[in-house]
Amino acid sequence: MKIDSGDTAWVLASAALVMLMTPALGFFYGGLVRKKNVLSTIMHSFFILCLISVQWVLWGYSLAFGPDKFHLIGGLEWVGLNHVGFAPNPDYAPTIPHQAFMVFQMMFAVITPALISGAFAERQRFKAFVLFSLLWATFVYDPIAHWVWGAGGWLHNLGALDFAGGTVVHISSGVSALVAALVLGRRLGFGKEKSEPHDATMTVLGACLLWFGWFGFNAGSALTAGTLATSAFVVTNTATAMAALTWMTVSWYHKRQPSVLGAAAGAVAGLVAITPAAGFVNVMGAIVIGFGAGVVCYLAIQLRERIHVDDALDVWAVHGIGGTWGALATGLFATIAINSTAANGLFYGNPKQVLIQLVAIGASWGWSIIGTFAILKLVNLFVPLRVQEDEEVLGLDISQHGEPAYAL
Amino acid sequence: MDPTTVMAVICSVIVFAGWLVLPHSAAAKPRVVSEERKPVRVSA
Repeated sequence: MKIDSGDTAWVLASAALVMLMTPALGFFYGGLVRKKNVLSTIMHSFFILCLISVQWVLWGYSLAFGPDKFHLIGGLEWVGLNHVGFAPNPDYAPTIPHQAFMVFQMMFAVITPALISGAFAERQRFKAFVLFSLLWATFVYDPIAHWVWGAGGWLHNLGALDFAGGTVVHISSGVSALVAALVLGRRLGFGKEKSEPHDATMTVLGACLLWFGWFGFNAGSALTAGTLATSAFVVTNTATAMAALTWMTVSWYHKRQPSVLGAAAGAVAGLVAITPAAGFVNVMGAIVIGFGAGVVCYLAIQLRERIHVDDALDVWAVHGIGGTWGALATGLFATIAINSTAANGLFYGNPKQVLIQLVAIGASWGWSIIGTFAILKLVNLFVPLRVQEDEEVLGLDISQHGEPAYAL
Repeated sequence: MDPTTVMAVICSVIVFAGWLVLPHSAAAKPRVVSEERKPVRVSA
């Protein structure tokens, strides 16, 4: 197999774009919390970038993409990147070095547990966060990645379509966030005291950087620098813009004012929803997917508020529900006119694809709920998940890290 | 037009036309953002 320099350059550049998304997420979340917790919130993302980068080369990549075992998990043959060299792997990307594919996938593994951190912001003990993230990446992310993307994975064999991680990244993190919010409980004063974003500009900047990095996430998932990457790039931008417009319109109608933070959250919801569909739908499908994301994710936040769940930064509503809508919509709008190696969806004559997508959605929800609940309970046996009340009042920047964010 | 295009057009019309019925300005009164600029009284 011959290495294509254009494909390799694109995938490596895309890996760098996706890497940027994790600190961007830190700023997106950081602006939404109170001033006393901003540094700890940014630290969640920065720390996970370091932690999973090492976990991935040691054993994560092998579990997710290594030689298949029972269609459920990769074997340990590739631990420490053994057998993962510079020759292309035809099962995954036949025109780029195997290590280029590995490092691109690493960035997906990095951002996924970082997404969950928004649910337990402002109250989780840092040591518990470290243990949880390592166990979650190993026992929840790696198996689901193998099911969907690994050669021999059971959802892969079933024909589930997930171009860049609607099930693997967003449903897994969003649903796990809901479980984490329920297990940890609400923040002190939740529902009584106002907990307003301390820096909306930081959040909007974070959202813009996420949008920028997401071109690597989705268009990079083509793994070639050609027509499929171009199509994924265009539909990603279209769905994102449509979701931001829709969210802003719905919230403008509902709350009587056009929210800036709402527009930013809407853009992220659109990015999430188009992720599984990016390599399978045309631009008209992207408009419908973006519109749907703006509506359903906004409604999910209203529901979350009504049932008083303290998913602090709405990870479940945006990523869990947005990812679910995107995975379902892939089964509706996929067309082989865009990707001849995939399948048509319901509106192109293949209703069976919707059922396959529902199986993938159900499996991702189920494993995320079971795995996250078990891991949180296990960690709690050794390290209390929450900080003490006085530490929460003081703020996590000082109580967990001994550093204030601002010396103003 | 195929069904996907029809749906995309309907979604776009809903959003764009929706702006015609939305309020012209924010309903909420602006809040006092900071009290730092209040003059400091220095008594003799």
